[in-house]
Amino acid sequence: MSFSTIHCLPSVTSIPALIHTLTRLHSITCVLSILSTALPVSADAPDFRKDIQPILESNCVRCHTESKVKGGLRMDTYEKIMEGGETADAIVPGDPAKSELLVRVHLRPIDEGVMPDEGQALKPEEVALLDAWVKAGAKWPKGVTLTERKPEKPKRVAMPQKAPASNIEAAAMLDDILRRENASTDVITTDPISDTAFLRRSTIDLIGRIPTVREIKEFESWGDDRRAKLIKKLTSHPRFADRWTIFMADMLRIRSNVTGGNQLLAYINGSIEQEKPYDVLVRELISASGRTNSNPAVGYILGDDAQPMELAASTSQIFMGVRIGCAMCHDHPFDDWERKDFYDLAAFFGKTVKIQGRRNNRSVYTTEGSKMTVLWPPEDEAEAEERKPVKPRFPFQIATSKKSPHYIQRFRAARLARENAKSGDKKNASLDALLDAVEPKVGKTDDPVLKEAKMESKKLNVHADIYRSSELRNQLAQLITDPKNDYFARAFVNRVWAELIGHGFVEPLDNFSDYNELHHPTTLDFLAQEFIASGYDFKTLVRIITLSDAYRRSALPSGTPISVREKSELNFAAAPIRRMLGEVLYDSIVVAGHLEDFKWPKGANNKKVTREIRVPTGEFKMVEAGQPKMMPEQPAMRNDGYDLESSLQINFNSILNSKEQNELASMREKSDEQIKAEKMAAMQKEQQRKVMQYKTETITETVDDNPRFSSAMRMATPAPPAHFLRVFGQPSRVGLGEFRDDASSLRQQLMMLNGRMTHEASRVGTLEPLHRLLKKDQNLAIDWAYQEILTRLPSPEEKADARTIVNNTPEGMADLRWALLNSTEFRFLP
Amino acid sequence: MSCNDYLYTRRRALKAFSASILGIPLSQVLANTNSNKAKAEHVILFWNSGGMSHLDTWDPKPGRKVQGEFNPIKTSVDGMEISEIFPQLAKQMHHAALIRSITGTNGDHGRAQYELQTGFNQSPNILHPGIGSMVVHEREPLGDLPALVSISGQPARAGYLGQKCEAYFVGRPGQKDPYLSFPEGISHARGMQRLQILEKMNRRNAAEKGAAELKASQTALKDAVNLMESPALKAFELDEENPKTVEKYGNTEFGRGALLARRLVEKGVRFVQVNRGGFDNHGNIFEAMRNHGATMDPAIASLISDLKANGMLSKTLVVVLSEFGRTPRINDGGGRDHWARCFSCMMAGGGLKGGSIVGASDEDGMAPAERPVKVADLHATLCHALGIDVNKELETPQGRPMRLVRKEAAPIQELFA
Repeated sequence: MSFSTIHCLPSVTSIPALIHTLTRLHSITCVLSILSTALPVSADAPDFRKDIQPILESNCVRCHTESKVKGGLRMDTYEKIMEGGETADAIVPGDPAKSELLVRVHLRPIDEGVMPDEGQALKPEEVALLDAWVKAGAKWPKGVTLTERKPEKPKRVAMPQKAPASNIEAAAMLDDILRRENASTDVITTDPISDTAFLRRSTIDLIGRIPTVREIKEFESWGDDRRAKLIKKLTSHPRFADRWTIFMADMLRIRSNVTGGNQLLAYINGSIEQEKPYDVLVRELISASGRTNSNPAVGYILGDDAQPMELAASTSQIFMGVRIGCAMCHDHPFDDWERKDFYDLAAFFGKTVKIQGRRNNRSVYTTEGSKMTVLWPPEDEAEAEERKPVKPRFPFQIATSKKSPHYIQRFRAARLARENAKSGDKKNASLDALLDAVEPKVGKTDDPVLKEAKMESKKLNVHADIYRSSELRNQLAQLITDPKNDYFARAFVNRVWAELIGHGFVEPLDNFSDYNELHHPTTLDFLAQEFIASGYDFKTLVRIITLSDAYRRSALPSGTPISVREKSELNFAAAPIRRMLGEVLYDSIVVAGHLEDFKWPKGANNKKVTREIRVPTGEFKMVEAGQPKMMPEQPAMRNDGYDLESSLQINFNSILNSKEQNELASMREKSDEQIKAEKMAAMQKEQQRKVMQYKTETITETVDDNPRFSSAMRMATPAPPAHFLRVFGQPSRVGLGEFRDDASSLRQQLMMLNGRMTHEASRVGTLEPLHRLLKKDQNLAIDWAYQEILTRLPSPEEKADARTIVNNTPEGMADLRWALLNSTEFRFLP
Repeated sequence: MSCNDYLYTRRRALKAFSASILGIPLSQVLANTNSNKAKAEHVILFWNSGGMSHLDTWDPKPGRKVQGEFNPIKTSVDGMEISEIFPQLAKQMHHAALIRSITGTNGDHGRAQYELQTGFNQSPNILHPGIGSMVVHEREPLGDLPALVSISGQPARAGYLGQKCEAYFVGRPGQKDPYLSFPEGISHARGMQRLQILEKMNRRNAAEKGAAELKASQTALKDAVNLMESPALKAFELDEENPKTVEKYGNTEFGRGALLARRLVEKGVRFVQVNRGGFDNHGNIFEAMRNHGATMDPAIASLISDLKANGMLSKTLVVVLSEFGRTPRINDGGGRDHWARCFSCMMAGGGLKGGSIVGASDEDGMAPAERPVKVADLHATLCHALGIDVNKELETPQGRPMRLVRKEAAPIQELFA
């Protein structure tokens, strides 16, 4: 069975396209008849109470009833449903094709106008029943009024009796739960992938690039426990923090062009590297006050411009997976959240103030004001004088049982152990001792490190009043990260699981709701509990998942019916196909093609190029004040047009060590008159500034075309529009709940086919090991190339093909490598 | 090539993305497939970044203190006068409509550019698509070339419409895009050979796995190769154009951009945006505007007359737009500052009523005197001209319902016959 016979409508999503398609099919009736022949239709008219009422009550009545009336349509009584909606008749007895309701339930889930709009699509047999019911005259027993049926709570299976003793045991328990949860589901469970495929998959996932030949050989030399050994090695690898900073940056929507963005990025990177517990990290983010350099976590608050409403929406959606933000403007359309709940939550941010420096935005900081800015009723519901400050209230339930389950006891023990270890380190470390420790090493008294440390010691009290810490946000942070708050750990586990397995227990990942399906609730609970028990240790979570059989599933073979494929993948019994993240693909090409270092001797690629340069004329032009920077006037491309593949790295260390501390301290010592005078002077200076004049000249020069590429992991984020990373799905990180676009595009293919990076990676540099191998024995060289790019040896058939392609020439080898780098096997995970 | 390609992504399959057309009965929409009377098929948008003075272009104020250095000149339309910096355009105005009463709300470049290009105000947690992305999302592609091309700069982002609706951009008109041909040193024959090797490898992999993602990737590859091999690509190469034509357009980057825009719409590109800056003239505005006129006038006038000559004008909407106007008062530095309360826009072709003037500003061009036009009305007008439903509602991938055009906006009906 193919895709198209199941979904009779060809693949369209826009209405014009749909119309176009349907015009070709002559009429909608035709479509319906095609559909009804493809689906089981019972010969008799369905029974309303038994067959129809449950469908309508579970799927429709929620939004089409007295209290909601979406689209002007009510479906709770016969009279109301026959009145129809704002624009059309919902039901025309005897004529499904004229019944708007039927037309809409027939659409595919991705089509426009499909009903139900939210929640699960109707099953084909349910659609067939509705069809038959309308065809038979839409009989509705007199006086029957429909009421909403709440979705059933997902069924859970038994949790393991005892706590696991190791990550490996936890992974085995996880697989056991998953198996039991799938017991009554009809899925194909695929075999685990080979160990070398596992090496490739986990290296890509955990450190963000493909393995090198050296790593392959090392892995092969290990014994039976090699998978566990590998996971341990990868989670301790220096690139681990870089790779997962990308994950966190997507989640937190970190943008380099927002005040504090780069500092936040560096802070997250450092936190992962130092294995900071996730709950501690989140508490720091939510409660931070101050400036981005002294307290980089404040970048989170600045990211939403310290706006209470925005912060409430993003904080609950990001850290708890609850889209309460929809209740900002109206009661949540698809959930039970009311507007007041949202305002109560927003009030935790209601005293947060962002202070902008007088002269430039380098001195932006947040602090806690005294006035509550969140007022109730909302602006559009009441006059200004009626609106009163809101008292913060946490609208989410936290378990209250007195008995502590084992995972919370384990959490407390883990936390205690950590605290002890930390205080042990610093037992005798007074501030003076710390300063002494710095001094001998740096020697000079004006050393910046020392200076900063001294400044810090002086400012301890100063901080207290300028950057007043936020009591309200501290409270909120405690509530959110409470181990008894079910939402917190599960929301994060769901994201990490999806990143590693391909999709979440809940999709979209940040939409936990009674009205959104939750798959495998017990598996999720178990992982969440183990995550809490580990003291919210991120690496433990990653280790348990990657050590499980669920992580090792292979993909279903071609020819598997699409419905079986979908079901098996959705139930984590088979691996979906995943493409490498843009950053990972970039770094993998760099590694596979040895582009991190020069692969040609100096001068081997000399060539003459003509290009345009801008040279100063030596003249200055006076420019009026206020000439702002406008949209970029320079062409977005470099002269050779390949700028879209460059990666300029941010130095995370230097970002967190700037001099802003001192500036602020000196600012505070000035009188207001002084500040005013300085400001005037600055304004005068700014009013007319001298700008150097440039002219464009065309020059011809000889360049040594021997490029190196660095990692894309630490680039400013997000990359510029149309950059390689963006084309391969890096999000803009503006929209809340924006996920990576994993679709294929023509632009991606063009960048891979004709891009400079793939081209340079393919060429066989004389300094590469492959070059020597090729001279010695092309068979060895072919094996090497396959291993370097695809982490496997070629099949005999592939090898024969490769010999014809390579034909003992470096050019032939470049052709082979180019094809391997462009192949779907390279880009998609094994 | 259009937004609707490569539909299959995992998350969509899981129904994270669906869209609805609230308020329109689907059966009715389906029944009326030919109700679209719109004439425009293409748009060429000249985006003038920095805030172009309305008084020194489309809305001269002779005899007033605010007039400045330029005199108005007569145009091919009785009673319509424009600034003397556009002598050639003056002869084309019977094809054009002037809107002289646009009233914006943002006096800051960033926010105003966002509003003018998307029709919405900036919001911290959603990115609205630019008008070009919106058009290519709504209208099916024509021909081999990418549906949305931006010249000499970037248009607004595609926002929630996703990467597939982003513009294909040309750094400089006439400059070859390196991604459209094999890398330097790889001959066409060798490149084609490489593609054959690649195809065999991919076929093997697909035979083994056969997931829809792999097929989508293959389709994209096929489209990429088709584009590389397409004769339509010649449209990008200006060297084959008659040198006299290039001269006629002014032979500036802007002129070449206008010429390229014409060549692209002839090959089916839906939306071309030609970007240019330098309008933020806080000082010496008259010298600057004289230069701008010398650049813009031959280019846009030649474009309109060429489109007319080859029969494309009636289905190509040419728009000249900026983020706001400039203060009527001339400041001490001989410049004008930001002015969003009242400004103008020129639209030509695309089935609009030529020679019309919509609205009027007061005697000094300070505020609309008649028929104020909101910024989003411009977007509604553009959509209407292209047959895109102004009331259409989409759902973002996150499930938030979003209108294409702000609710309170309406097309300028006077422009449609």
